[in-house]
Amino acid sequence: MNGVFRALGTTFKTMLRHPVTVQYPDEQLPVSPRRRGFPRLLVDPEVGELRCSGCGICARHCLTQALKVTMKDNPNFAAGKSQRKKIVDKFELDVGQCTECAVCIEMCNSGGIEMTKEWCAPSTSRQGLRRDLAQQNGSAEAVH
Amino acid sequence: MNWVVELVLRVVAVLAFLVLTVLFLIWLERKVLGRIQMRMGPMRTAPYGVLQPVADALKLMTKEGLRPQGADTWVYHLGPVVAVLPALLVWVTIPFTGSLVVQDMRLGAFYIVAVSGVSVVGMVMAGWSSNNKYALLGAARSAAQMISYELPLVLALLGVVMLAQSLSLGDIVAQQSPWPYLLLQPLGFALFLVAGLAELARNPFDIYHADTEIVGGPFVEYSGIRWALFFMAEYVNLFAICALASLLFLGGWKGPLLPPILWFLVKTYAFVFFIIWLRAALPRLRIDQLMTLAWRYLVPLAFANILLNAFYLYFELPAWTLSLASLALLGVAVVPLYRHWSGRAVVKARLADRVGMSKAESQA
Repeated sequence: MNGVFRALGTTFKTMLRHPVTVQYPDEQLPVSPRRRGFPRLLVDPEVGELRCSGCGICARHCLTQALKVTMKDNPNFAAGKSQRKKIVDKFELDVGQCTECAVCIEMCNSGGIEMTKEWCAPSTSRQGLRRDLAQQNGSAEAVH
Repeated sequence: MNWVVELVLRVVAVLAFLVLTVLFLIWLERKVLGRIQMRMGPMRTAPYGVLQPVADALKLMTKEGLRPQGADTWVYHLGPVVAVLPALLVWVTIPFTGSLVVQDMRLGAFYIVAVSGVSVVGMVMAGWSSNNKYALLGAARSAAQMISYELPLVLALLGVVMLAQSLSLGDIVAQQSPWPYLLLQPLGFALFLVAGLAELARNPFDIYHADTEIVGGPFVEYSGIRWALFFMAEYVNLFAICALASLLFLGGWKGPLLPPILWFLVKTYAFVFFIIWLRAALPRLRIDQLMTLAWRYLVPLAFANILLNAFYLYFELPAWTLSLASLALLGVAVVPLYRHWSGRAVVKARLADRVGMSKAESQA
């Protein structure tokens, strides 16, 4: 019976407190600075091209098969500007599949990927969840 | 002819008020529960989600009404109507203010008791005809619960009727000056509130809905507009019991400064808020605990309350004696209840059970 009054007191107290939820996605709660987000490709500043050669080792080791990588001949190599014979053509990431585990970074031989803080990428279609990182590199803030 | 038009207008006005009230109650309940659980509740449909119940209602109206294959068709279709009609009919004689009432009957309280008792038939019809074991269990539970708690509810109401010497709700409110019956009848008020909660099947007495046990009870097979009718009946009943509590014990529309209708609504919504608050705070009783509470505690107490009132009226004692005696009886009643639910003996027995169980586990 004491419990009844205790329960009433507790619920009344919580009612007077501010809600802990927010109107997502209009408002968003701050995420931990240590939180990882989706990967992005890095640019080699000396040549001004992506470091990724498109070898696809990251895609082969991706646990959720969220990556799809193709390579092409590097036009800069033909022009004599770059040492890289091959370069990434398309680097498709499915953000609906990506678990942000960073295995791709562990596997990368050319140091061409890093994690960003971007974790929220809603879309109304399945296709909207697929993005070509080779086209949009450098858009998200990196984790250091 | 004029009186016919006036009566029809009054009925339509009350019906419109009730539909709006049901929508508002649904919104209020979701909001209050949300805040108690530190959420916001509905926010998307219009500012503060005020149109959420309208959206829900539209959804239910356009939804397909399913019927189980083995259902008893006629009874299945009639069930919701039989449940909702008494809930609406009760409002014929519940006054909002002295003049704002469809028909202030001389036997108003008697009419309310008689009509509201029919709604249990709707539940049983729904549960029986659905051809579903959970629905049948729910129907059996609802019959047991509603019949058990009808008694203390009616006897608590009888105490008020004895004091007012009238069955008309208008007269009962008029008699409550300067003091509301809450002060004269604290025991009767407590009985009315507990029995009313059980009649409404609200927490902690939502035993025949019991979503986690019998997945919604008698309404488990209903969908669409028929399910909405049950829902509407529940909320109309909730508002009716709260309105009755304010009329019988808090002086209804009487109060200083504010207009009478506002006083009525303020008092009624205070009860509504309390009932929603209870829903957030308390767990469900077991069916045996429910029956114990009704037959071992509430019914004897209700008879004692009537005896008390009879003594008071027969010997024409001063009002404060009734208040004190009623309060004392309430206090005395709490002791065995406390011992029954959470007394030292009960706690010891529970502990012993737990120790015994852990010993048995360790031996195994």
